[in-house]
Amino acid sequence: MSPEPLLRVDRLVKRFGGFRALDGVSFHLVPGEVLGLVGPNGSGKTTCINVISGLYGRDGGSVTFRGRDIAGSRAHMLARRGINRTFQSPRPFLSLTVRENVEIAAWNGRGDGTKADLDGLLEQLDLHRHAGRAAGDLNSAQQKTLDLARALATAPKLLLVDELAAGLNPAELTRMAERLRELARGGMALLVVEHLMGFIDHVTDRVIVMNAGREIFEGKLGEATRDPEVIRVFLGTAHAR
Amino acid sequence: MLLHAALSGLVFGFYFTLVGLGLNLVFGVMRIVNLAHGDFLMLGAYSAFWLFGLYHLHPLLSAACVLVVFTLVGLPLYYLVVPRLLAARDSEMLSLILFFGLQQMIEAVTSIAFGTTERSIPGRVLGSGPVRLLGQALPTSWVFSAGVSLAAVALVYVYLYQTRLGMLTRAVMVSREEAVATGIDLHRVCAIAFGLGLGLAGIAGVFAPFMLGSVTPAIGPEINIAAFAVIVVGTLGNPLGTVLGGIVYGVSLMLMQTYLSSWANLLPNLLLIAVLLVRPTGLLGRRVRRA
Repeated sequence: MSPEPLLRVDRLVKRFGGFRALDGVSFHLVPGEVLGLVGPNGSGKTTCINVISGLYGRDGGSVTFRGRDIAGSRAHMLARRGINRTFQSPRPFLSLTVRENVEIAAWNGRGDGTKADLDGLLEQLDLHRHAGRAAGDLNSAQQKTLDLARALATAPKLLLVDELAAGLNPAELTRMAERLRELARGGMALLVVEHLMGFIDHVTDRVIVMNAGREIFEGKLGEATRDPEVIRVFLGTAHAR
Repeated sequence: MLLHAALSGLVFGFYFTLVGLGLNLVFGVMRIVNLAHGDFLMLGAYSAFWLFGLYHLHPLLSAACVLVVFTLVGLPLYYLVVPRLLAARDSEMLSLILFFGLQQMIEAVTSIAFGTTERSIPGRVLGSGPVRLLGQALPTSWVFSAGVSLAAVALVYVYLYQTRLGMLTRAVMVSREEAVATGIDLHRVCAIAFGLGLGLAGIAGVFAPFMLGSVTPAIGPEINIAAFAVIVVGTLGNPLGTVLGGIVYGVSLMLMQTYLSSWANLLPNLLLIAVLLVRPTGLLGRRVRRA
């Protein structure tokens, strides 16, 4: 018997004026699973994460987390309930130190935020050497890692990962993919938005391909690459059979 | 004469730091402009006037009362007004319009309730005789007011840099979106900062009769211009940069009053124009604007 879904998204709709950024998206996610959201720019991937994480309200459908409808819950409340996210362009608290950035998250999330926990987290993500530095002094890869550390310090059960791999070099990509797999092995569910297919292939258990606010495919990434609709969306009509 | 002007300017600078501090704290945290700031200062002055007139309450005690009461008044006022502004696309512009309306209302109601007569409190209440500093004699009430101002700045420093709530406040100053995603209750942090901003304006008001001579219900806009000059010079959005802005403003004001007295009233506008043209990020620059 498959485990009870941690997150259930059902016919989710989000409009910006007359534009339907999400047009009835449905999927679910179980603990320990890594689900990839892929699709061309403007297909609604980040909007989906923004709605689930409470940054945007929704215009239709439902989002259920651990059996409870979380519609209308503000982002800070969701962080405390166990949903957190990373940002495509991380904006850490630049003038605060790396440790302070993570401490703040730990105070406000579900984590205990004990010194040992935070030290462990910083060490696990190779940030311990920079703990006393201002976040503004880190390079972009380190700021992305800090963004992940900030999210993890809240002890989420569901982590929404928005283009974490963009801008990382191959060695950093491999390390980041391993980290995400390790989190999933620990029981955390991850929803990963990413354009790098190699990274998605390495990290995810299954993917949802989106186009124009709708899901057009759900399954293994390998199967998606043979799906005519997916090929049409990514490569154009000439390539689809 | 130059030394006296410089010392007086320093004392006034500390006071004007307090005048601008609350406005800058509110802007730094919420990115909204409280145009009613000067009127809350005026209400603080009226509170001190009546508390002294009715109960002979020492201004220092009045300042403590005003800090508590104004901060508490700020909390519901925040929830009534500001969350809607923050949700708007152009919250800075909307805040100008909304708080301009509030400013007009406060001024009108105060004028109707208490009249437009100038109100003052005798300077001797804060101590008689001058204080001698580097051989120069300064009124005790000025030095006392400057001391309270410095204590208020220290209070804000401790709040921002030594408390957990202060760290959350600094986090909100850097990035509202990231702060929310981190789990920070944005409105709780903003409401406290807004209340504290009004409380600081109230304390500045308590000492306004001593530093400005007298107050009327119409003093708000004039105070606002001075406060804007102070915080723009000292870097908009950086509460502690206000200290530098206050000192520059105070010393310039006293030098102008000493050597070019008929031009002194132009100073706030001149400073504003000069800084916006030459260094629009303020004297401390963009780096510290990130809090």
